[in-house]
Amino acid sequence: MSEENKSLFDIWGDNVNLKDLLIAMLICIGMTLGGYVIAPGEDPQPLIAGLVGGVIGFIISSIIIKPKREINDIEEES
Amino acid sequence: MDPVIIVQIIIASILGAGLYTLIGIAPGTDETAVLAPVTIALVLLGFSPYVILAFFISAIVAKKLTDSIPVAVAGIPGGVMSAPMVEHAMTLKEHGLPDHSIKKMSSGSVIGTLVAIPLSFIVGSLIIPYADTISEHSGLIFTLGAVLLALLAKNKLLSLLIIIPFGILLQGLQHLYWGLDVIPEDTSIFVSFFLGITIGPIVISLIELIDKNHRDSLPFLGKKEIQIKNTKKEKGLPNPIKILDKHETGSSAFGSIIGTFTFFLTPVGMTVFIGEFMTRHVKDPVKRASRALATMDGVTNASYISGTLIPLIAIGLPMSPMAIGPAAGLFNAPPEFTPEHNIHHLLTPVEMLTVSVIGAGVALLITYYIIIRYAQNIVRFVFKHIPHEALIGLFSGLVVMLAFMDAGLLNIFGTLLVALVAGLLYKNGVNYGVMFMVLYAAPWLLGLF
Repeated sequence: MSEENKSLFDIWGDNVNLKDLLIAMLICIGMTLGGYVIAPGEDPQPLIAGLVGGVIGFIISSIIIKPKREINDIEEES
Repeated sequence: MDPVIIVQIIIASILGAGLYTLIGIAPGTDETAVLAPVTIALVLLGFSPYVILAFFISAIVAKKLTDSIPVAVAGIPGGVMSAPMVEHAMTLKEHGLPDHSIKKMSSGSVIGTLVAIPLSFIVGSLIIPYADTISEHSGLIFTLGAVLLALLAKNKLLSLLIIIPFGILLQGLQHLYWGLDVIPEDTSIFVSFFLGITIGPIVISLIELIDKNHRDSLPFLGKKEIQIKNTKKEKGLPNPIKILDKHETGSSAFGSIIGTFTFFLTPVGMTVFIGEFMTRHVKDPVKRASRALATMDGVTNASYISGTLIPLIAIGLPMSPMAIGPAAGLFNAPPEFTPEHNIHHLLTPVEMLTVSVIGAGVALLITYYIIIRYAQNIVRFVFKHIPHEALIGLFSGLVVMLAFMDAGLLNIFGTLLVALVAGLLYKNGVNYGVMFMVLYAAPWLLGLF
């Protein structure tokens, strides 16, 4: 619950929580670079593995991190 | 063209449009940072140049169409380019016409695209006779480009002053890698330095936030509040020409023509300039805002497409802010593409025209249809489920991997150095454009000494 009291920071045009951002960056960098380094085989394969790793990292971060946005719906007559 | 290639082009266009419909909506995404790494990755993966061009054209058309959505629905810009439109969208919102903005803007985009593609081919063909002369003096031209963009930058003096020192940093790293045998003498680093410059501002913000004193000095920032208006769903596929009145269509088309001819100038600047210039005389605030939105979206689209296509058709060297930024991968992504061997050399102008028409057509069909119908649902999905942290994470992952691919572990730190310097310069009013131009100009410029 202490999360609620912590200030967010504006990076690249939207609000982020610093700890969440570092987690997301670690996961994504780890997955892309990891994929690239581990991948066996010839030239384009490490890159493919790295990209797939990046996408998986992105999905994992999207699941464990909640967006810092408050959405209000406004009903409109018309 | 081979039917197999045409099928591939269509698939690439669908994927490009789908992916960038989502990315376009995410707030604050910078065009270069989201378009360049993906394009470069596709090039390095060895996809056919047809597929890459189709993907890219479809991606920019889709992204330009969609990044106006958050402006209209929630009043926050979806990208750097849509920032100048917020004011006009707000005017319409205040007058109770929020769904007007989205329609005017998307229709403006459609007109911009329809004007820019054929016109780019005409302008491109007019430049072809001079292409050899231009290529011979490319080093000089990039240097002059850096000077020109420096004079247009926020901080002119620093921008001018930094041209040679920044060139020394980039060439210095390059020669260090050669000297240490990190890379062979016949290869040069481009992609990672380019991406280093792109993520510079993010890196600097992050580094500053590590300092606790700096963190505490910032005002408290809560969650971003976003209001989404629920409006009636549209039925059927609206005709963009019918959504705009005669004046709006006219000024959007005319703005797009100017935007195409000024392909070598910065798109944001031209958008603001043309948009304001063409609508200054309109008194009624609602009419003025609608016309400005339609015009601005047209100009943005036109300058993006022409900035990519004209240099591709005519010279094969990135001679526009668009080409040195978001479209960089189409011109230079060694070892697949180099300034001597890229889409310009692999495709004939007619093939480029065909691919662009298919790419833009698919993107317009898919995205325009989706936008007009499901704008609110998509915005809600992206805002609720895609955290900004994950987007930044993904792009930093891509940059680190491509840096490693270029020149190993050492280059991750080299790229970080480039990013730090670029970020500091950016913060002090030096444009991306100046730094990208220096990246191209540096080998020639420093060779003069």
